[in-house]
Amino acid sequence: MKRFITLLLLLASATNYAQKSIDPTTDDIALAKELRLKYAKSDVALLFSKEVVTFDINAGNVTVNNNVKERLMNINHRADIHKYEFYDSQSSIENFSLKYRNDKTANFYVRDEFHKSNDLFFADSRVKYMTVDFPVQGYTYNYELDKKYKDVKYFTSIYFQDEYPIIKKQITLTVPDWLNLDIKEFNFEGYTIKKDVVKEGKNTIYTYTLENAEPMSEDKQAPGPSLVYPHVLLIAKSFTKNSKQITLFSETADLYKWYKSLVDGIQENPAALKDKVKELTANAKTDDEKIKNIYYWVQDNIRYIAFEDGLAGYRPEASQNVFAKRYGDCKGMANLTRQMLKEAGFDARLTWIGTKHIGYNYSIPSLSVDNHMICTLFKDGKKYFLDGTEKYNSLGEYAERIQGKEVMIEDGDKYIIEKVPVAASAQNKETYTGVFHIDNESLVGTISGNMLGESRASFLYGYNSIKNDRKENSLQYYLSHGDNNFAVSNVVTSDLANRDSNLTLQYNATLKNKVSSFDNEIYVDLDYEQEFSEYDFKERKTDFEFDYKREYESVTTLQIPAGYKVTRLPEAFKIANDTYAINVSYEQKGNDILYKKHFLVKSATIKKADFVNWNASVTSLKNLYNDQITLTKQ
Amino acid sequence: MRIVTLTLLLCGTITFAQDKAEVKELFWGKDDPAKKNITVPEKWKKESAVVIYKNENYDYHKYGTSVTYISSTRKRIKLQDQASVKEFSEFSFRERFFSNKAYGWKRGTNTIGIKVIKPDGTEKEIDVDAEAITTDQTKKIAIPNLEVGDIIDFYFYTKEPFKSFDAFGFDPVETTVADSYPIMDMKLTLKTENDFFINFNTYNGAPELMEVSPEGSSERRYELVANDVEKNDFPRWFYPLVELPCYKFQVYFARSGKFEESAGGFLPKKENIIKKNVSTDDVLAYYDGRFKPYGNLGDIKTYLKEHTFTSDEEKVKQVYYYTRHQYYTRFVEAFVVKEAKIMYPWEYYGMPVFFNSEEEFINHFMAFLKDQKLDYDIIVATPRNNGPIKDLLLKTNIEVLLRVNTQNPVYLQFFTPYTNADQVKFLIENSDAYALKVSKGKKVSDIETIKLPVSTHKDNRSERKLDVTFSADFNTVNLIRESSLYGHLKDADQDDKMYFFDYVAEDYAKYGTKSLLDYVKNKKKKEQYTNEFDALKNKLKEKQKKEFKESIESEFDFTVEDHTLEVTATGRFGAGTPFSYNEKFTVKDKLVKKAGANYVLEVGKLIGEQVNIEEKDKKRANNIYQSYPRAYNEEVIITIPDGYTVSGLEKLNKKVENATGGFVSTATLTGNKLTVKATKYYATYYEPAANWKDITAFIDAAYQFTQEKILLKKN
Repeated sequence: MKRFITLLLLLASATNYAQKSIDPTTDDIALAKELRLKYAKSDVALLFSKEVVTFDINAGNVTVNNNVKERLMNINHRADIHKYEFYDSQSSIENFSLKYRNDKTANFYVRDEFHKSNDLFFADSRVKYMTVDFPVQGYTYNYELDKKYKDVKYFTSIYFQDEYPIIKKQITLTVPDWLNLDIKEFNFEGYTIKKDVVKEGKNTIYTYTLENAEPMSEDKQAPGPSLVYPHVLLIAKSFTKNSKQITLFSETADLYKWYKSLVDGIQENPAALKDKVKELTANAKTDDEKIKNIYYWVQDNIRYIAFEDGLAGYRPEASQNVFAKRYGDCKGMANLTRQMLKEAGFDARLTWIGTKHIGYNYSIPSLSVDNHMICTLFKDGKKYFLDGTEKYNSLGEYAERIQGKEVMIEDGDKYIIEKVPVAASAQNKETYTGVFHIDNESLVGTISGNMLGESRASFLYGYNSIKNDRKENSLQYYLSHGDNNFAVSNVVTSDLANRDSNLTLQYNATLKNKVSSFDNEIYVDLDYEQEFSEYDFKERKTDFEFDYKREYESVTTLQIPAGYKVTRLPEAFKIANDTYAINVSYEQKGNDILYKKHFLVKSATIKKADFVNWNASVTSLKNLYNDQITLTKQ
Repeated sequence: MRIVTLTLLLCGTITFAQDKAEVKELFWGKDDPAKKNITVPEKWKKESAVVIYKNENYDYHKYGTSVTYISSTRKRIKLQDQASVKEFSEFSFRERFFSNKAYGWKRGTNTIGIKVIKPDGTEKEIDVDAEAITTDQTKKIAIPNLEVGDIIDFYFYTKEPFKSFDAFGFDPVETTVADSYPIMDMKLTLKTENDFFINFNTYNGAPELMEVSPEGSSERRYELVANDVEKNDFPRWFYPLVELPCYKFQVYFARSGKFEESAGGFLPKKENIIKKNVSTDDVLAYYDGRFKPYGNLGDIKTYLKEHTFTSDEEKVKQVYYYTRHQYYTRFVEAFVVKEAKIMYPWEYYGMPVFFNSEEEFINHFMAFLKDQKLDYDIIVATPRNNGPIKDLLLKTNIEVLLRVNTQNPVYLQFFTPYTNADQVKFLIENSDAYALKVSKGKKVSDIETIKLPVSTHKDNRSERKLDVTFSADFNTVNLIRESSLYGHLKDADQDDKMYFFDYVAEDYAKYGTKSLLDYVKNKKKKEQYTNEFDALKNKLKEKQKKEFKESIESEFDFTVEDHTLEVTATGRFGAGTPFSYNEKFTVKDKLVKKAGANYVLEVGKLIGEQVNIEEKDKKRANNIYQSYPRAYNEEVIITIPDGYTVSGLEKLNKKVENATGGFVSTATLTGNKLTVKATKYYATYYEPAANWKDITAFIDAAYQFTQEKILLKKN
């Protein structure tokens, strides 16, 4: 039997029944109702959230005290939530508590566990959390958190928004004169954030206030938070103690210096790679081939396993260890690629990069700037960026997530800042051709397809991750989208291990139930893909990011059956703007009907500002897909 | 990722270290039969992975009341693609844990060993202690240097000590010999000594368990050996344990004859006998005295006094529904408020009697039947997916019910809020069962094999009426649907669609009882509890609304809007009382395709998504096992808009019927109303594989119906 209440989180805490004295006031209830109208998808709202940040010096480090006070109100009928806070080896939670409205402590059981995530094999971060119930609408709790950071360099940013709507958010930073702190403001545009700066004694007090902050969106395929949400980035440049100025991350060179010190601490033993490099390069006729053999070997044979363990989260694992274990994180894979290439006689270097997910560049000396590491190969005056964590990435092609992003390349005591080249959509182009004739109520014909760049890489990765004994069925299923009316047979493909050549697919297709005959007329639904019709952003709050820039072209030919003439073709749909272009049309050419589709998404992102246009286009597209060809008996 | 639920403390004591060495020797020592095996047969070269050797061991030892239970699994697997490498690339386990069996008195340990064998035969053992990282109580290992073409050879060895002062039954094992990968060789061993009793048997052509006890030893040893086992592939509508080579076993610990009695299983007479089958005599002996008429009949007697019945049959059924309320649904609200921490409810009920188990139900009902001098039998049945009752081996496979021998016998089972008194659970329907004759309402005197009732597709049916109209621009289709479900088709749907608040009030009214909050006298408290309980119910109703929408969307396989659902009858008092609800919803930009001035309506989709058998599944070697016969009756009434005529109706007339079931559809036009009727029914519980073509014939017809379209032609 179904549990009687499946809505509730599993409650493991000691039972404490609510008391009358802490029931919401009439005003609270009225407020909750009002807020719920505004934030219809939220159960809880923060009536206020005050964050106070102060600084100290301890053991030669600048430490940070972060105090948070919040009032949480249930704006739905009832709410059951987890209140949680993360910490790690660089931070500690001193106070994590909830109080009732009457200021009495609510003794919810606090759990303290390792942070577990499917994406991370191991992280040193831990989470404290409590399971909190709000029995009625308007019920409130007062929350307080005191958290300490051992080193200011790990306290990088403060965001104004939360998973819950916030009625009033205040961030106060008390910066002592001995600390040179740069406060950078991001994404304030479009928000009314009040800022006050006052000097009080030996401190400068910065106060930021934002009212009516929407909850952070849960949209998938969205830009990283640093690109979207208002926040302040804190850069502690230096501090003065006993009249002595100590530099922290004052400029990018300081960041590099710290990174470099970590890299210099790796005990490398390239000799362990010698035999493998020899094996991989022995039969290679050209440098290109040698590089590919090494780069592809790393892609194919080193399993990506994410570790985040204190300093080790910033220091690459020694290449010989990654090689021996055949697994590593991005830094380990970059380091192995570098050492193997060096072993083969090339100039290869470690390279820090912030992926597309991150909204900063290397003008900012902060640990928030990057989140990834790759390897740069210097060859014949050119630089190649090799990302060992990619799968089926062809040398010289770059994944969307690193394109156009700044890289910091090691260069002895100096560093080089460059940008990863940006490729056009055409690099990832997919092309399909179908030729069909009508056989009873079916369309029978052949389809051939062609994939390049990231469309090819993602196809190859998907295909090669499937169990051997299921590959054939899975490929058929993929090609037919699991549509029972779409029978696929005699599939011939190019080599599905080759990431450099054109990927081609050819197969026979029978599309059932696409032809309807009524009286003297035949209606033909010639569309079997309905490309892009699923990208409807009516409910979306944030920009949509495609996995990569898209270009897609298809031509479907229908042979007009003998004795019939075309009496109606659906109207074409065409749009072109700076963001995207869509051109879908039908035309009769002799005894054939040509159904042409062309889609171009110029950058991989559809901005929120373009949603109105985009959604209108998708509606037109759906209407067109819903339309049919009319053939009439002559 | 392979997660094995196995706890921790880093204090690796010397004894544990010694144990670890011994464990390793056990699997990978000089007697390892698979030591040199690194090649797999040609026929399995295209498999994702091949199990070269699988070894499962169950070891039961005791010293007085202290039991040491050791279970272990070793697998040596050739990994032939990236998918299998990924699957075996990470392990996680708990090194130490407390037994949850009987009385855990000292920690149990898990020992794990992993080695990787390269294609050239070189072996590398993973240093588990060095490689593992620890998060809370779990250890995790990422396997180093594991590549396609390698063999991973690992064992999990669990030593679980506990104390048992009386009798203890270990978890039963029921599994197919085959696994998700083909197996070259497998060996299962059981090791026991006195005071351990084994029920073990193999079925459907699986190899027999053989005794291999060493001579002159008090230890008993048994083995099941199999080789060349193809991987499992479970088709639709299939009961693997009924058809595939499989084995079942359960071990009991009982220190004396008295405990053997109370063990709760069908123990062999002696420890040196492996019990392979539970006979009718065993069942008779076991159940003699196991159930006894017991329970306070006060409530029932009061109920009887206040009601009259047309027959004994009617009386039994009504008392059943009464007890379902009195000892079950009356307390549902209490459980809810307790879980939601709204209040402590139990003080309000005086001495609440709530049935927690089948046994409480049976005993109480027996007391009632005895009191009423109604003849009844205790029925011992086994769900059909376990195989026939004649092959019964495990107590856990048994369901017990009562048969009241009224003119039409009434079968009664421990209830859920929805159980009907006139239909038994579908999994035991149409199966052979044992009837234990109860003489004079007391003693079990005899046993006979009976057939449990069957139900037909006429009993288990849905009746749906869908009213369809269009907006002027044909972009919106407005739908109103009335649904009534009968028999077993109600079972899952009632549970999916109803929350406690949808049925408790009905019971309070019917039986004159009070809802929980009616018991609360304190005005302030009552107000508070009411507010909180209402808040909870409102929240659940919002959730329910979402579930309703998701449910209909999965039924039709398209999105709907503005969906409302109202339950009009709960269907909780008899298989023939329908579970009914009315829905209203709209569908936008679907179902209607433009064709110039005309419109093509995908009328077939209005009967809901139908099963489609993929081409590769059209051939079938396994027999077909259905939960129960059933019929889906759909009536779609479409209002043809003014100015349009309809054509293409001929395609909507389909008829495929055979002994296994059928699909019949018709379309008739009366005025501007087009009525489409479709019935799909499955006539039987079971069909041999040879009849698969008959089943697919009507399934295909129903699927094809969903693809049919009609033309709405502008006049």
